[in-house]
Amino acid sequence: MRTVTATDGRMLARIIHLAHRFGCTYTKVASERNGAAYHMELAFAGPGDALRRLDAHITKLLDDDGETME
Amino acid sequence: MHPTRTGAAIVLDTLESLGVETVFGYPGGAIMPLYDALYDHRMRHVLVRHEAAAIFAASGYARSTGRTGVCIATSGPGATNLVTGIVDAMMDNVPLVALTGQVRTTVMGTDAFQEVDVAAITHAVTKRNVVVRSIDRIEPAIRAAFRLASGPRPGPVLVDLPTDVLRAVSESVAQIHVDHERTERKPLADPRSLDAAVSALQGAKRPVLIVGGGARWSGATAVFRAVASRIGAPIAATLHGLGCAHHDDPAFLGMLGMHGWKRANLAVANADVIVALGMRFDDRVTGDPAKFAPNAHTIIHADIDASEFNKVVRAQIPLHGDLRETLVALDHRLARVTLPSFADWRAQACAQDEQLPRDDARDEHLSATDFLDALLAALPADAIVTTDVGQHQMWAAQRVRANHPQHFLTSGGLGSMGFGLPAAIGAQMAHPDRMVVAIVGDGGFQMSMAELATLRRHELPVKIVLLDNRNLGMVRQWQELFYNARYSATSLPDNPEFTTIARAYGIEARIVDHASAIGGAVARLLESPGPMLLHCACYPHENVWPIIPSGKSVDDLLEAIPA
Repeated sequence: MRTVTATDGRMLARIIHLAHRFGCTYTKVASERNGAAYHMELAFAGPGDALRRLDAHITKLLDDDGETME
Repeated sequence: MHPTRTGAAIVLDTLESLGVETVFGYPGGAIMPLYDALYDHRMRHVLVRHEAAAIFAASGYARSTGRTGVCIATSGPGATNLVTGIVDAMMDNVPLVALTGQVRTTVMGTDAFQEVDVAAITHAVTKRNVVVRSIDRIEPAIRAAFRLASGPRPGPVLVDLPTDVLRAVSESVAQIHVDHERTERKPLADPRSLDAAVSALQGAKRPVLIVGGGARWSGATAVFRAVASRIGAPIAATLHGLGCAHHDDPAFLGMLGMHGWKRANLAVANADVIVALGMRFDDRVTGDPAKFAPNAHTIIHADIDASEFNKVVRAQIPLHGDLRETLVALDHRLARVTLPSFADWRAQACAQDEQLPRDDARDEHLSATDFLDALLAALPADAIVTTDVGQHQMWAAQRVRANHPQHFLTSGGLGSMGFGLPAAIGAQMAHPDRMVVAIVGDGGFQMSMAELATLRRHELPVKIVLLDNRNLGMVRQWQELFYNARYSATSLPDNPEFTTIARAYGIEARIVDHASAIGGAVARLLESPGPMLLHCACYPHENVWPIIPSGKSVDDLLEAIPA
């Protein structure tokens, strides 16, 4: 399970696309908006290396999400 | 009464405050307010003939300067024509900001004329993108776009600008802050990992350094050379790492990988310690990852992006941080220890295959490799070489004498044909006093040939070397080697008279078709004060050697057609 907080509401879609690209699937997706942020709970299944790569990519995406663009 | 500005004027003022002097673009309906503002603005706009050329030119500008390139296109087809260049920049870590027009906010989502959800289309291939929905968000969005594009690992950012937002008027007083591109939030490598890297080098017998494009973007060329000199190990480069080591450094083995030098691939295969610096173990470098560096007990991998670690090849010592800072820290540590001498190993690694293998049978025809040998040897030391994609790209990469990674610009990760000429335009705009040479093939050149008009309009003295073998040569080579010589859709016997086309655009053009004419042709090209096309009518079946077939290892390296 990974908890994600992002300002870009489309982050969920991007993460799910990445997961499928890496050969993973999601087993749980929950998201709700709280003020200007979106709080997400995500769980994935897949090969260990792919899950680690996905996790690293999510961290990178969240780092970029720190810049307020909208 | 307060002064007012339109959204379009805010865009241009913000770009200018960020140090942007040149933008590359193509107008259209939704972006017209921005072009109206450009009409009497100081910003230099380069009108290309296709949006794909705008983003490749911006990429050439960025790759040759290290600064963020900017391109502009309208909504719909203008925006979608940028997509290949956006992916190209994403894969090669090029800092780009793409500004696209969008239909007005009140009709977004109604399938209006030239409406496309470019933010959705490019969501997976940009670092970030944004649709700016109000005039007060223009400046913050563009400033954020520049910060994101330029670091820590650079890449493209798209800012979508609805036409009503560009036309809107702000009554607030302009407050433009000079905010040069920041390079903040750079992680620093863990000191314990740096110590472990030093220990691994102290115990090494056959270390090899591999330098990649990360050295270019972190500005690490000088410190890389210092560290490499201190270690004294042989050096290989990825396609984007060319120029980081001085081309005539006796420790430099040349390019690594599928079409790399045999000695570089053999050295990596025999190495016991690999020091991989700002490279991502692309499949064109590793071949079969399971057989990559099979004798290496330790791989030290330095990269700004933690997601690169263990992606393809497992690293025993990851160094997560800005490469320049990592190398500075490594240099300080190495200065305090004694490393074993790697002179014998270096001599052994560098002694092999001092000549590249090449095809013999050329009849009376011109050899592309003979021509490139002569051309690349004659270029000024600070010349910038761009390439398209294909055989000529690999021949050039094998031979280029780049002294700096910003001297050799090529589409590596995506391999985008049509890149070479517009990238040269961008580089020449950034470096008006330097020689810029676009080495292109007949396939790729015909994807961007209309940019001859851009050369003419801006009087850009780009030298175009067109290696015409009347084939899509790399695909033809693979068909010959791996598809039983079934040449499907790769022959181009109906190529046009390229010199006639160039002259129609007002560009000097000459043809060379025989080995004895190479010297004179090169001299004429380099002496030409303006733009020039040199059409090299080459032997059509010359192949790129060596080649490690896709997914194979150096054990499977070919130096000629198998008997």
